[in-house]
Amino acid sequence: MNALLSGRVLVGAALILFVSLCAMFAPLLASHDPGEQDLLNILLPPAWSSGGDAAFPLGTDSLGRDQFARLLYGARLALLVAVTAACGAAVLGTVLAHIAGYFGGFLDWLIGRAVEVWMSFPPVILSLILMVGLGTGADRVVLAIVLVDWTRFCRVLRAEVLVTTQRDYVTAARLSGFTHLQTLIREILPATLPLLITLLSLEMGIAVIVEAILSFVGLGVAADQVAWGQMIADARSNFALAPWTLLLPMAAIFFTVTGFNLLGDGLRRTLDVRQTIARSA
Amino acid sequence: MIRRLTFNLAPGRILGIVGESGAGKTMIGRVIAHALPAGFAVTGGSLRLDDDNLVRLTPARRRALLGRDIAFVPQEPMTALNPVMTIGAQFSEHLKRLGITSRRTRALELLDAVHLRDGAALLRRYPHQLSGGMCQRVLIAMAFAGRPRVIVADEPTTALDVTIQARIVQLMAELQRNAGTAMLFITHDLRLASRICDEIVVLYAGRAVERGPAASLLAEPAHPYTRSLQLASPTMTGPRRALLALAHRMPGLLELAGMSGCRFAPRCPIAEADCLTMDPLDRAAGPMRVAACLRVDGAHRIAVSGLPVAPAIASGKPVLRLHDASKRFRSFWGATGTWAVHDASLVIGAGEFVGLVGESGSGKSTVARLIMGLERATSGRVVLGDRDVTRASAADARHRLHWAQMVFQDPQSALNPRRMVGDIVTQVLQAGRRPLDRTRRMERARELLAEVGLGADLLERYPAQLSGGQRQRVNIARALCAVPRLLVADEIVSGLDVSVQAQLLALLLRLRAERGIALLFISHDLSVVRHLCERVLVMHRGDIVEQGPTETVFASPRHPYTRRLLAAVPPDDPALPWQPFPDEAELMPPAGPPRAAVAVPSR
Ligand SMILES: Nc1ncnc2c1ncn2[C@@H]1O[C@H](COP(=O)(O)OP(=O)(O)O)[C@@H](O)[C@H]1O
Ligand code: SF4
Ligand SMILES: [Mg+2]
Repeated sequence: MNALLSGRVLVGAALILFVSLCAMFAPLLASHDPGEQDLLNILLPPAWSSGGDAAFPLGTDSLGRDQFARLLYGARLALLVAVTAACGAAVLGTVLAHIAGYFGGFLDWLIGRAVEVWMSFPPVILSLILMVGLGTGADRVVLAIVLVDWTRFCRVLRAEVLVTTQRDYVTAARLSGFTHLQTLIREILPATLPLLITLLSLEMGIAVIVEAILSFVGLGVAADQVAWGQMIADARSNFALAPWTLLLPMAAIFFTVTGFNLLGDGLRRTLDVRQTIARSA
Repeated sequence: MIRRLTFNLAPGRILGIVGESGAGKTMIGRVIAHALPAGFAVTGGSLRLDDDNLVRLTPARRRALLGRDIAFVPQEPMTALNPVMTIGAQFSEHLKRLGITSRRTRALELLDAVHLRDGAALLRRYPHQLSGGMCQRVLIAMAFAGRPRVIVADEPTTALDVTIQARIVQLMAELQRNAGTAMLFITHDLRLASRICDEIVVLYAGRAVERGPAASLLAEPAHPYTRSLQLASPTMTGPRRALLALAHRMPGLLELAGMSGCRFAPRCPIAEADCLTMDPLDRAAGPMRVAACLRVDGAHRIAVSGLPVAPAIASGKPVLRLHDASKRFRSFWGATGTWAVHDASLVIGAGEFVGLVGESGSGKSTVARLIMGLERATSGRVVLGDRDVTRASAADARHRLHWAQMVFQDPQSALNPRRMVGDIVTQVLQAGRRPLDRTRRMERARELLAEVGLGADLLERYPAQLSGGQRQRVNIARALCAVPRLLVADEIVSGLDVSVQAQLLALLLRLRAERGIALLFISHDLSVVRHLCERVLVMHRGDIVEQGPTETVFASPRHPYTRRLLAAVPPDDPALPWQPFPDEAELMPPAGPPRAAVAVPSR
């Protein structure tokens, strides 16, 4: 287990933990409602620079809304979307990958073609098309990400399932009287789990970006919800006047995505089954 | 790891390095190739090739020597070639590195020299479109391309079929003779080494324990270890005898550090007190013979006696009947299909040990899979006991549990690395509608481990913590858990050293004596089949071409294929000539992507 505590994993986990705590305690930490407009105090700089106001620690945007509160509530949405979308995509992709890799034959062919067709669309275009069709809202964003990104899981995991299925211990389990489902859960899933966890972490980072893009172009969440992408979109016109309104949400996205990527990458290294076996043998 | 190893290799000679896995054979090759694994270093001594000391070479000199003056033939021909480049491209790259011009002509010349027909077509192929034997020929051609002074061949035929092995070994000897090259032939097979080598060094735990001319060394081993190896190998002629099963195993790297005296002492049948304290130095043991043993004249005292086999408990009741079972594989579009097994019929009675031999791809594993319900027969019937299980339904599977179980070839792949031994061997009791609780299962696991000769201390170990022999015992224990009447064993001793193999064969025979179990033993090693089975079936391209009592079939084979198979095995008696069938071109497989590109090929 010590191997899990590599530098990457620790830094990544710390970043994610920090963002999660901010999101969780947003109502306690923020002194303003994120939607509350104060038209007397628009485009205030952060509290520490000249002209700042201690009531708005990170300044305000063009409608006089508290940037600090908006960042915190933005984190809520970002994480909510990231976790549910990544899990959804993972479940769909993993189930199909196991069916394809384990049973092979026609099912494998069918699923393989579906993945290929799916992946021939650029993901951003595909999600934009989906959002236009589905309408806006956080749940639609999640659905769009699931529908676009399940292929990521399916393609990578299928290869792993295929390799594991060819191991004799899987045959042995069948000969011992386990059903297909039991065999899949007992013998195959544990072998693909490390990869799954890694992909899941990386996918969360991707989901954060996709949600930001969709919100940026106005196809994401409803107008009364706070999203980092929306903050960036709002800040564009005032960039020269108030660069921080743009830089703050960008930094938030950057840190969250980096956190997920470091975590995923670190897990990939430390959980890599083959490496672990080689090390212990 | 390796200590005080001395050998001389003259041009035009072949030196054999023989030892079991872990003895340090490959390490010698790596010292020469300057490819020692991290943490290892040459701490003393020298290794001279004419005027160069290979241990201390300048990088430039090393690049000049390796590949050109010293060439290597690898163990796994399939993996040694780059799968995404054609043979032609790899050949050309290799020849370019050697500074050879007119590469195509030379390549074709070389392919002709290794008896590969239609070289031009072959150069366009990818490695996976060739058989293992053909890949090895290509690699041999590459090795000889630069007219090297020395060739290092590390287990060059271990991954190949016996018949192919015989041809490749002959081919290497022929090329080596013609070119006057010196060759270092590394192998675990004493009998094979004695056939092609001029001189042999026997390696045990990193120490050269015996050295001498090949013929006399095999005829009269002077070191107890060499003698034990010989007595642990089953024979092809003469009366069947029990095999010597050495206790323990070869000490590993870590154990070596704490050892004093003779490294073989813990296992040596004639060890005495002084062996544990005195490091035996090389001493003369006959003309040109050297052995590192305090009792060089004592080796002949080591002997085994008795028959290996309790006579077959031939009760009339058959446990397994195959009636004209056939299996045809077709792609799921149904376009083409090959008969992997064609009209195979066989009967195995209770307590009967039956061998199934043939080269790889002949359909042996498919027969096993038909019996186990892992494939459904295209036609014909599979009957276990009194139940027809051809349909491989769920009820058939429940019936099969107590009739037939399978032991797998590769214990590494057969045991889930994430499960403890205790859980692995009792998984049958976990499946089904009423799984047993853990305590009851562990009780049973203890019994099973005892039955296969393992201690209860292994219950909570993981497969990675076991030796190869222990893993294969766990593999057998799992198959025994449901108390089946028949074991189907597919190449279960192929990857093991002879001393471990001897222990496992003894275990199988004991199981028969104790519980009258029957066995279908699939193997490419004819001498093992002769030792174990009273009846043998020979498969060739999906057909059972010959079957009968082992002694009769081996003594007077009827089918030409059986004769070819038997001729490929070097005779036990070094005085008898070895006359495998003359090298003939292997058939080029069809150019389409073969299945091996997707599935793991069975060995
Ligand atoms: N699942 C499969 N699909 C297609 N062909 C197969 C399959 N399994 C085996 N074969 C083919 O059947 C033949 C017999 O294979 P096999 O029974 O594994 O032989 P052996 O065990 O004697 O090496 C080979 O030509 C092999 O390529
Ligand atoms: S020195 Fe002793 S222990 Fe070693 S091989 Fe000779 S007799 Fe056996
Ligand atoms: Mg096979």
